[in-house]
Amino acid sequence: MTAFVFLLAGLAVAAQEVTLTVDAPESAAAGERFRIIYTVNSTDGQFTPPKFDPSFSVQGPQQSTSRNVQWINGDVKTISSTTLIYYVVAGTPGTYTIPAAQFETKKVTVSSQEKQIVITAGASSQASASQQQGQGQVRASGDAPSAGTDVSMKIILGDREVYAGEPVTGTLKLYTRINLSGIQELKFPDFKGFLKEDIETPPLRSLENEVIDGVQYGTGVIQRFVLYPQVSGDLRIEPAEMTVLVQERTGAKDPFFDDPFFDSFFSSVSTVPRKVTTQPLTIRVKPLPEPRPADFHGAVGSFTIESSISGTDARLNDAVTMTVTLKGTGNLSLAGEPVISFPQGIEKYDPKVTVKSTGTASGSKVFEYLLIPRNTGTFEIPPVSYSVFDPGQQKYVTLRAEGFTINVTGTPGEDQGAAPAYTPGEDVKYLGQDIRFIRNGNVRLSKISAPLVSGLYYWLWFALALFVAAMVLLLRREQIRRNADIAGLRNRKAAKNARSRLAKANDLLKSGKKEAVNTEVARALWGYLGDKLRIPQSEITRDKCYSALRDRKTEEEIITELDRVLTATEYSQYAPVSEGESPDALCRRAATLIGKLDGVLD
Amino acid sequence: MRRLLLIHIIMLAGILSLAGQTPEEKYKQAGELYGSGDYSGAAAIYRKLWEEGYRSEGLLYNTGNAFFKSGDNASAILFYERAKLLAPADEDIDYNLQIARSRITDRFETVPQLFFVRWFDFLALLASTNIWAVAALAMFVASLLLALVFLTKSRARGRLLSFWLSLASLILAILMVSLAVRNNSLVNHNPRAVITCGIVTGRSAPGETGNELFVIHSGTTVTVEQELGSFSEVRLPDGNKGWIGSSCMEKI
Repeated sequence: MTAFVFLLAGLAVAAQEVTLTVDAPESAAAGERFRIIYTVNSTDGQFTPPKFDPSFSVQGPQQSTSRNVQWINGDVKTISSTTLIYYVVAGTPGTYTIPAAQFETKKVTVSSQEKQIVITAGASSQASASQQQGQGQVRASGDAPSAGTDVSMKIILGDREVYAGEPVTGTLKLYTRINLSGIQELKFPDFKGFLKEDIETPPLRSLENEVIDGVQYGTGVIQRFVLYPQVSGDLRIEPAEMTVLVQERTGAKDPFFDDPFFDSFFSSVSTVPRKVTTQPLTIRVKPLPEPRPADFHGAVGSFTIESSISGTDARLNDAVTMTVTLKGTGNLSLAGEPVISFPQGIEKYDPKVTVKSTGTASGSKVFEYLLIPRNTGTFEIPPVSYSVFDPGQQKYVTLRAEGFTINVTGTPGEDQGAAPAYTPGEDVKYLGQDIRFIRNGNVRLSKISAPLVSGLYYWLWFALALFVAAMVLLLRREQIRRNADIAGLRNRKAAKNARSRLAKANDLLKSGKKEAVNTEVARALWGYLGDKLRIPQSEITRDKCYSALRDRKTEEEIITELDRVLTATEYSQYAPVSEGESPDALCRRAATLIGKLDGVLD
Repeated sequence: MRRLLLIHIIMLAGILSLAGQTPEEKYKQAGELYGSGDYSGAAAIYRKLWEEGYRSEGLLYNTGNAFFKSGDNASAILFYERAKLLAPADEDIDYNLQIARSRITDRFETVPQLFFVRWFDFLALLASTNIWAVAALAMFVASLLLALVFLTKSRARGRLLSFWLSLASLILAILMVSLAVRNNSLVNHNPRAVITCGIVTGRSAPGETGNELFVIHSGTTVTVEQELGSFSEVRLPDGNKGWIGSSCMEKI
């Protein structure tokens, strides 16, 4: 304790003296830049740099001054210092001496110590502090972190060729051959095309020794993670960046304690940030084979599935929980929920999903379905069918979990608290929309026939029909005309014929054949009527004649007279002549009648 | 060489066995494929039958269904439209067509047809062209016969009846002829077409130089107004007109 007090007192006294200290590494690699730092506890004076070896290329000096004002126990002390930094690159290996530098103030001139420096060949000679001496020629190569650096970082992937969705474990590892005091900043790339999930990694406290290609490294895992490729193709992982704090000895050697032990004890060690990056990587992601099964919901890995239910006997409106558990290794977090077609009458809520991960990509995912029976009866929950893609077997595997039968009992409307999900008079529930099914009955398939209307022949048929009709009409007209001619002739000759018959009857009367007279008179009358009324003789009757005459507006007197004459002719035909009307009178009456009829009918 | 021969024989046998099927058997086979979920297979067979010239509303309806199920909505609409021409009153076809239309991209405010045009077209499609044509001819002949009766019969009462009947059947004959012609133009020369390309740009002139007027997507039904080379001027359901490539559509 007393020694310590003395030391402090000594320092206080020495503070007034001008000292020039030099700080340079004991060894450096050829071609590598190192610093030589001169510190002087004064600001005014002339600094004379040492004569560096000609093989050194020197940059600098970089000069900085500082002034400290201190109050110690009421005394004000001003400490000022100047620092000059030379950046030196040594060309050839060997042992060199850096001569003393001088600092000249108004009063005194002080010199620095001479410094020995060992320049080794190659960059790697500046190996970790504990083993650098004596064996400066170690070369790093192979799988080790990129050559030439003493601190490096690497991403180690579980697999470089995977299927989309297949988990890839990754480890970010640090390799170092020098002392590190800490990690300042870690920047992951954005892992384009991947979903990254960090695995809990204990913070890096101590490094493990690992020998790679004969070189000892201190290694440590910085972060473990799982990558799930989301797209297929060659995906590039950009470099990760990290800033490490490298311990670098920059402290000045104390002039009083020039001893290795004190040197390491007192020389100040500064921490210098250094940027470390990883090499970019490429992962080949293969797409999942097509066609994908309908019940594939993105799960890739090797899984098992099981289902359970809280109870198969349920009360109306009381919740039942069905649990489907997916277990195994794979992209659990991306595995979609299984589609279960719950029967109508059971209200289903969206499942509660919990993922229990055990470290890497393995674990279990639990889907909890809350079901509320809204109707009584027996309901069948179909078995769960869930397809996963197994990268090991390189094919889709359909997993099955058992279904359940739920018996729901209870009285509807009993539980007033529950929502009345099914009330009478409810609208029919439509679940989806699809086209109607095809027709599979017997069909008669016939080839299309040419449309008639676009052919000329069809229209010719119309013309033909019209022509035929016209011909028929023409012929019929001709016939009618001819018939009409015959009838007209008879009509016109009717009176003449009748008169000639009556004349004949008169002749017969004169010759004394009285019986024949009546017949002739009857013939004359019937013939006249037939011709005039256009009734064939075969069809003629009295009634027909009368109605025909009435049609022609003949006076009733004439018809009565006709009737009498006709009756008379018939009567006299069959009765003895003496009893009937005299044939002579009959002839006259008939002649008068025909005259009258002619007047009416013409 | 021997194996090659064997393969040829097997292939020939396969072709023959397929060729040996009656169209009804093929139709049944396609129905079974449809039932088992091979929709594109069923659609291929149905379409082949259609291309061979077989027609039946059931065939066209099933073809539409098979195309719909295999995801080709444009072809489904095309075949439903064709089926509708054979069976205008079929409710299933209307329903499926409406569903297929609801799945396509383009929506239009359709300009509705005049009600009598709609009725007339409906009537025209109730029977096939040739049935109307034959009926019209029969009606015309009946009208002529009645006219002959009218022109030759002398009895007054019968004449009057035959005159009116003849006139009525003549009018019916004219109506039926026009229905036959209308049916023919609807079924065999329908100006409407369904867009089959995914996306088509309508331009103001045929060719690639005209200004772009509109963009339509597959499944839209258009009316072809005129054709010039490999381009057609089409009218959209909302009444707008533009030129598109004829290869991008299939006539109903």
